[in-house]
Amino acid sequence: MKMAALLLIAQLISGGRKVGPVEAARHRFPYRKAGLTERQAAAHLLSRFTYGARPGDVDAVMKEGLERWMDRQLGARLPDDSLDLRLQPYDALTLSNEQVQALYPRRGRVLKMAIRDGIINKDSVKADRAAYREEIRGYMAQKGYKPEQELFRQFISQKILRAAYSNNQLLEVMTDFWFNHFNVSITKNDCAEFIPAYERDVIRPNAMGKFGSLLLQTARSPAMLFYLDNFNSSGVKGVNENYAREVMELHTLGVDGGYTQQDVTQAARVLTGWTIFPMNANGRNFINRFSPGQLERRGFVHDGDFLFNPNRHDKGEKVVLGHLFPAGGGYEEGVELLDMLAHHPSTAKFISRELAVRFVSDDPPQSLVDKMARTFLEKDGDIRQVLRTMVESPEFWSPNAVQEKTKSPFELAIGAVRSLRADIRQPYPLYVWISRMGEKMYYYPAPTGFPDKGAYWINAGSLLNRMNFGLALATGQVPGVRVELGAEAQEAGIAIGSPENQRR
Amino acid sequence: MVTRRGFLKSGGIALFGVGLMGGIPPFMAQAAATEKRSRLYKGKRVLVCIFQRGAMDGLMAVTPFQDKYFKAARPDLFTGDGSIDLDGRWGLHPSMKGFGPLFRDGRLAIVHGIGSPNNTRSHFDAQDYMESGTPFNKGTTSGWLNRAVGLMGHDALTPFAAVSLTPALPRSLYGDNPSLAIANLQDFAIREQGDAAAAAAAAKTWESQYGKARSGLLQETGKESFEAIRVLQSADVRHYRPANGAVYPGSPLGSSLRQIAQLIRMEVGMEVAFTESGGWDTHFNQGTDNGIFARSAADLANSIAAFWQDLGTWQDEVTVMTMTEFGRTVRQNGTGGTDHGRGSCNFILGNGVSGGRVHGQVADLAVENLEDGRDLPVTTDFRSVFSAVADAHLLIADDRALFPGWDGAKPAVMKTPA
Repeated sequence: MKMAALLLIAQLISGGRKVGPVEAARHRFPYRKAGLTERQAAAHLLSRFTYGARPGDVDAVMKEGLERWMDRQLGARLPDDSLDLRLQPYDALTLSNEQVQALYPRRGRVLKMAIRDGIINKDSVKADRAAYREEIRGYMAQKGYKPEQELFRQFISQKILRAAYSNNQLLEVMTDFWFNHFNVSITKNDCAEFIPAYERDVIRPNAMGKFGSLLLQTARSPAMLFYLDNFNSSGVKGVNENYAREVMELHTLGVDGGYTQQDVTQAARVLTGWTIFPMNANGRNFINRFSPGQLERRGFVHDGDFLFNPNRHDKGEKVVLGHLFPAGGGYEEGVELLDMLAHHPSTAKFISRELAVRFVSDDPPQSLVDKMARTFLEKDGDIRQVLRTMVESPEFWSPNAVQEKTKSPFELAIGAVRSLRADIRQPYPLYVWISRMGEKMYYYPAPTGFPDKGAYWINAGSLLNRMNFGLALATGQVPGVRVELGAEAQEAGIAIGSPENQRR
Repeated sequence: MVTRRGFLKSGGIALFGVGLMGGIPPFMAQAAATEKRSRLYKGKRVLVCIFQRGAMDGLMAVTPFQDKYFKAARPDLFTGDGSIDLDGRWGLHPSMKGFGPLFRDGRLAIVHGIGSPNNTRSHFDAQDYMESGTPFNKGTTSGWLNRAVGLMGHDALTPFAAVSLTPALPRSLYGDNPSLAIANLQDFAIREQGDAAAAAAAAKTWESQYGKARSGLLQETGKESFEAIRVLQSADVRHYRPANGAVYPGSPLGSSLRQIAQLIRMEVGMEVAFTESGGWDTHFNQGTDNGIFARSAADLANSIAAFWQDLGTWQDEVTVMTMTEFGRTVRQNGTGGTDHGRGSCNFILGNGVSGGRVHGQVADLAVENLEDGRDLPVTTDFRSVFSAVADAHLLIADDRALFPGWDGAKPAVMKTPA
C-alpha cells in the first residue's frame, strides 16, 4: 500500500478515463493538449503545490476534480483540526514580539543583566566554567527567562509539522516561498527573536493576497527592520541604504529592473524614520509621555510593533525612478514608494519569473512569465490570480516541466514523511537531517534566500546524505518519527533515495 | 544545464570512474585504479585553508610587545611579557610555541594588518565576503576556492578536487567545480545502522539507478558520490597512522587536519582542502597567557605543526594558510575581552613561503593611527595575500577571475611569485 504511494511519486502512472466533449469544456486546465492523462495531471498538481502526495491523494484529487481541488487550495480555508492539536504544546509560538523579548532574552543580554544585578562578575568566572554556566542557569530560572534556543526549536518544529500535516498545503508552500523571497535570518542576532512572529503575522496571512500588502507589512516588521538595518536609518544621524537597496534588488524590481544607485540613495531617504516601537522600559517610558493624539499631531505613526519617527525622517524633496516626492513628506511617502515598487512592470516580471521557477522549471519559458506578469499588473498584484494564470497555461503542463524541479532537502524529508504517512512525534531530529542534507532552515545568512535550483542542492556529499536519510527514515532510525514498514523498509528507503524521488 | 568536467572523458581513468561490475576481479581493478590514480595525481599541489571563525584577535596572537599605546589599552590583557620574540617588535603568543621552529626555519610567514576593504563588523557578512572573495558583492554565487580549482590547468577533475572536512559545504567551496564536504572520512559511505549487508545492497542498487538517471545533474553527481565512497572505503582510513612521530591534538581541528593529511597521501587528485577552527569570538574573559584565547591558539599552532610533521616528504606539495573574518578592538572591553575590530593577522606555512618574517604595514597603535579610533586598520587586503599564495603555489595566473573586481599588488609572502 505504502510502496504504491512511493512509486507514484517516482513515476507517473499512465492510464485514465476518457473525457467526453461536455466534460472537456468544463476543464480549465489544458493538460490533455500537453499529452497528460488526468491521473498524471493530478499527480503533477500534488507534486508542485503540496509537500508531496500521500497514499490516496491522487485518487482524491481526481474525484474532487482538479480545478476544484486547486480552487480550494487557493482559498486556503480548509479545517486543520488535527494539525492544531499537534501544535498545541508549542507555547512559544503564540507570543507577541514583546512577549518573546521579555521571555526569551538573547544570551548577550542575559549576561549583561546578570552582571548588572551582581550575580556574575568577571573575576568569579575565571576559575570555573561549569559554575559560571550554573550561575547563569539559576539566574534565568529565577527571572523566568527561557533559553533562546528553545524558541527556535519550537519555531522549526512547527514548520515541519505544518508542512507535513496541514490540509492547506499550498498556503504552506507559499509561506515558504515568500519567507525565502523576503528572507531574514537567525544568523543575525538582532532580528532572530522576531522571526517567528514575522512568519506567523506577516508572511503567512499575506501569502496568497496582494503583493503590495505583503511588501508593506514586511517593510514595517521588526524582523526586516533589524535584518536590513533600516531601524537605525536616520535623516539626522545617518541614512542606511541597506534596506532600500535590497527592497529594489531582491524584493521588487530585480537587479536588472531599471533602478540606479541614485534611486537607492533617494529611496533610503524616503524610508528614514521607519523603525520599531520600543519594547524596552526606557523606550516605552519616553514614548508614553505623549498621548496617542499628541504623537499623531507630531507626525508619529504607531501600529503594533511599527513606529514611524518623524524626528528621524529626512523631510527634503526626493526623486525615485522619476517620481517626485515633494518636501515635507512623512510616513505616507514611504507607503507611496513601496506601492510604486509593488506595481512596477519590472516587479511584475521579477515576481512572476520567481514563481515560475518555483512551480514550473529551473528555466521557465518567457511566454509563461509574460502571461503571469500581465495578470500581476492587471489584477493589482493579486498572487492568487497570478497562480491561476500559471496553472491554466499550457506551459505549466508541458512534459518538459513535469518532474523537472529538484526537491530541496526540506521537500525531500517532508515528502517522504507524507508518502509513508509517518507520525512525527518529535520534529527536531528531522531538522537535523534536513540541515545535514544542506538546508539549515531559517539560517540562510544572505537576504537572497536559498537558491531555487538543482545545481545548488545536489553535490556528491549532499547526495550521499539524501540516500542515507532514506535508509534512516524507512528503517525507523530517525528519532521521533514513527514509521511502520516491516519488510518493506529497505525498499522504501531505496525509493526515497532514488534519483526519481529527488525530483518533483 | 551545468555539466561537470571531463571527469570520465579521459580513457585512462575509465576504470576509475565506472562501477566495477562484471569481468574484472575487484582487487585487481582496485590495484590498477590506485596505480593509475597515483600516476595522474602524484606531485599534485594542495592548498590547505583553515578558517578561524569568530574573528581572531590578531594583536594577541602576534603582539606588538614594545608598543606602549597597546600596553595602556590592555591593562588586563597584555601578553607581551610572556610572548616569544619573533623580530624585536612582534611576539608570538606563548601558547603558540609550536610555531616557533617553523618561523625560525623560514617556512612560516605572518601577515599583520590583514583584512577586508569592507568594514562590516558582522561575522556572517564578513565571512561571506571573504569566502566569496568579493567584499562588496552579496550576489556572488561561487566561493574563491572553487574558482581556484577551475583556474588550475589539469586534464581531469576527480570528486576530490576541493574537499572540506566540515559537516556542511563551506561558502568558499560553492561553485561549478567538484567540491565535497566530508564530516569524517570513515563515515563517508552508505550506512544502515546494524545492517552492513543491507547498506551494501542499497548502495549497489542506487549506483545502478543513478547511472541511468534521466537528469544529467543527478547522473554525474551520483557517479562522483559513488566514486568518492569507493576511494575512501578502499583506503582503510580507520587505521591511518600519522608519520614522522606527529601527534595531533584531539580537537576537531587536529582531527580534520589529520584526515586532510590522509587524503594528500592517498593521492586522489585533491587540490584544495578546507577546514575550520572555532571559539575565536572572545568578547568575554579572553584570558592572557592562559585561558580561552590561549587554548584556541595552542590548538591552532599544535594542529598545524603536527600536520606539517606528518606530511614529511609531501611538504613540498602543500601550503597552509589561515584566515579570519576580521580582528578585534585594540582596547579591552568591560568584560575582560575584546570586541569586533578590523585588521587581524594570518599564518602561511610552506616550503615556498617567504617565512621567518612578519609582513604587512602596521604603525604604532596610538589612537590617531586607529580606524574609527578603535581598531587596527586594514593595511593589506586579504585578496592580495590569497592571490599571492594561490598564484605561487597553485600556479594560477588569472587574479581577475579568482577575485573579480580586484587588481591590486601582491605582497611578497611567497619566495617565487608567479
